[in-house]
Amino acid sequence: ENRESMLNSKSNRLTEALEEANRLFDGVCRAREAALDAQFLVIASNIGKEKANELHSEMSAFDSTAFAEDLLTFMGVNRTEETDDSEDALGGFLPSGAWQTMGEEALKYFRRAPTFHYMMGSFKSESPVPKQRIERQKKASRGKAEQAMPAQLKKMEVSHQEATEKEVERILRILQTHFENDPNTPISFFDFVIDPNSFARTVENMFHVSFLIKDGLAKIRLDEDELPIIEPLKPSGGGEEDIRAGARNQVVISLDQREWQ
Amino acid sequence: LSARSWLLIPPQVSELVQFLLVKDQKKIPIKRADILKNIIREYRDAYSEIVNKAGRTLQEVFGLQLVEIDTKRHIYILINNLPRSEGQYLCRGKEKEKMGLLLVILSFIFMKGNSVKDSALWEFLHLLRVYPGKQHSVFGDVRKLVSEEFVRQKYLETTAIPLTDPTEFKYQWGPRAEKETSKKDVLNFVAKIQSKDPKFWASQYSEAMA
Repeated sequence: ENRESMLNSKSNRLTEALEEANRLFDGVCRAREAALDAQFLVIASNIGKEKANELHSEMSAFDSTAFAEDLLTFMGVNRTEETDDSEDALGGFLPSGAWQTMGEEALKYFRRAPTFHYMMGSFKSESPVPKQRIERQKKASRGKAEQAMPAQLKKMEVSHQEATEKEVERILRILQTHFENDPNTPISFFDFVIDPNSFARTVENMFHVSFLIKDGLAKIRLDEDELPIIEPLKPSGGGEEDIRAGARNQVVISLDQREWQ
Repeated sequence: LSARSWLLIPPQVSELVQFLLVKDQKKIPIKRADILKNIIREYRDAYSEIVNKAGRTLQEVFGLQLVEIDTKRHIYILINNLPRSEGQYLCRGKEKEKMGLLLVILSFIFMKGNSVKDSALWEFLHLLRVYPGKQHSVFGDVRKLVSEEFVRQKYLETTAIPLTDPTEFKYQWGPRAEKETSKKDVLNFVAKIQSKDPKFWASQYSEAMA
């Protein structure tokens, strides 16, 4: 009791109490009384230490209230918004990010080892149950994926074939139309296949023409100048003989970009 | 260590390095007993050698220092030995904010003479709208954070004040705080916040410079 009044640096109450204890001790003859005296001394010395501490800080007084206000300012609290003290005490929390601002500054003052974490995480002990679920999910999605795959592939192949066939038909029609208009003038093979604007297209054209030749729908022969010409063939009604009769030659034509140009 | 001597390092050293790094995640100091049980096991005689080599690895590879903060009970912490770099620090969870609160508390304790009563600390934190009984939007259970987490991590030390009824506690700097920061750093922080010269607080200044 009376701790605060004893702590007051201006008071001598502690000293007075000690002096009184000393006097009283002379009259002590029972152990219990001596124990009480010892207890008193412990309390007295604690108070004495606290008094000394108070003295210490009074030398360079630290105004904690001012410190708190400056901290709030640092954390971004708008001081002009404060109206009365009661609001401060009961008031809500600081603006969001206030303590982050403080933390950002604080980290500069610590030699803290960054915490070590595995980048991909680590094994967790509760895996069995979630794992099953994951497996089931995987199987389900895999099934779907597989089903999707064949359908896709089919589409691709079909479209590829169709495209080629369409192209070949188209080329045949062009050839036939030309011959209808001008039956006696075979077309120069090169005039026919070369696309002056695209080397790739040229090659494609040659590729499609080869189908015509293979199927016996067109033929290539050499004219007087030894240049290849192409003309459509009527699909023979005579059957196999005519086909056999048609000379089957293999020709390799090489054409590179420079030549094409 | 020469290049060849690196080959003579027993495997327990790398195991211990990993062990220490993982244990350090929560910033709870690591006990020798745990090291012996998990890593050293039957090689008890080689304990010092293994620990020293692990410390060496931590320093040379990670720039971290293995410090024994309690030589009687043999408790270790890891601190950062690299010079502080400019720029943002990467932090998980609320690490950043907690460090902010911690620095404020350590400053208060130092400026008030290295020891403060529990009640005085909370009275001060009230001014920052941090209340022990109230759930905080950032820190959650603040009382638990201060009186348990910071104490377990050895940033703060709490002791009972004798013959107080009900028992009162006082807070002081813990050994981790002593290693990770300094009175000088903390005084500079206070001076910066208050836009004053550190010498303004003469006794704190002389203590910090001692």
